[in-house]
Amino acid sequence: MNNILAMTIGALISVMVLSNGALAASTGNYLSSVIIHLVGFVTVIIVLIATKSRLHANRGIPVYMYSAGAIGVLTVLFNNLTFEALGVALTLALGLLGQSLASILIDHYGLLGMQIAKFNIKKIYGLISIVLGVIIMTIF
Amino acid sequence: MLYIIIAILAGSCIVISRIINFNLANKIGIFQGTFFNYAVGLFLSFLFLIISGEMLYLETNTMAAIPWWAFGGGFAGVVVVVLSTYLTPKLSAFYLTIFIFIGQLLVGGIIDYLWKGEFSMGKIIGGLLVASGLIYNLILDRNLETAGKTDG
Repeated sequence: MNNILAMTIGALISVMVLSNGALAASTGNYLSSVIIHLVGFVTVIIVLIATKSRLHANRGIPVYMYSAGAIGVLTVLFNNLTFEALGVALTLALGLLGQSLASILIDHYGLLGMQIAKFNIKKIYGLISIVLGVIIMTIF
Repeated sequence: MLYIIIAILAGSCIVISRIINFNLANKIGIFQGTFFNYAVGLFLSFLFLIISGEMLYLETNTMAAIPWWAFGGGFAGVVVVVLSTYLTPKLSAFYLTIFIFIGQLLVGGIIDYLWKGEFSMGKIIGGLLVASGLIYNLILDRNLETAGKTDG
């Protein structure tokens, strides 16, 4: 069930890329980023009201925990830079490589509060197959 | 070379921001965490827009030329953030990454086919390789679990 839900996220990302791409084409990279976040921001506020969720300031939370949104914007900015220099396919392939490496490191050492899932050396064959598949898919 | 490193870093950032958002949501709630995610994102986007000197205002005729569905990405993004936050503690970071990728490719492939009539053999062969590697590793995990070890 969780795996199917995770694939649904991917499906939504594809729709999002198409939609955001069309927006960026007519408004430019930076303005489209503002519009996308504005639409999202309004959506979250509606959800908060609809679910009667309360927002309360909690002083005990370290500042870095609020940085996810900032990192997201930086990711888009990085991508805009590399799309022009490397092309879409290579940018996506390298991005997925970065995601995989970061995931494996985070799982292995249990970073950022994640549960430790040590890397099993036998998995290297599966990993090679995945990486190969990703390269083929993005290049052809 | 610099761009290659930036592209890899951008990918790492996606995973890191997902987990940081989960840590925040864990303390204040998923929707509340998503709220701050977008509040900070909106502020920073606005800052970059001003620094970039890109035009601040849209002309009405440009606005009218934008198809309605181009505004749907912001909405889809919220669902993505909420679902990712929900799933982060339930799957290992690696499997979440790979399953998201598979969903993205499947639907991306369908969109390319319907939109542009493109259909690539490379995507199918590559997709099969990804799927087989993933299934192999999932089976390894399952065997380890049944063997009573939790490190997979």
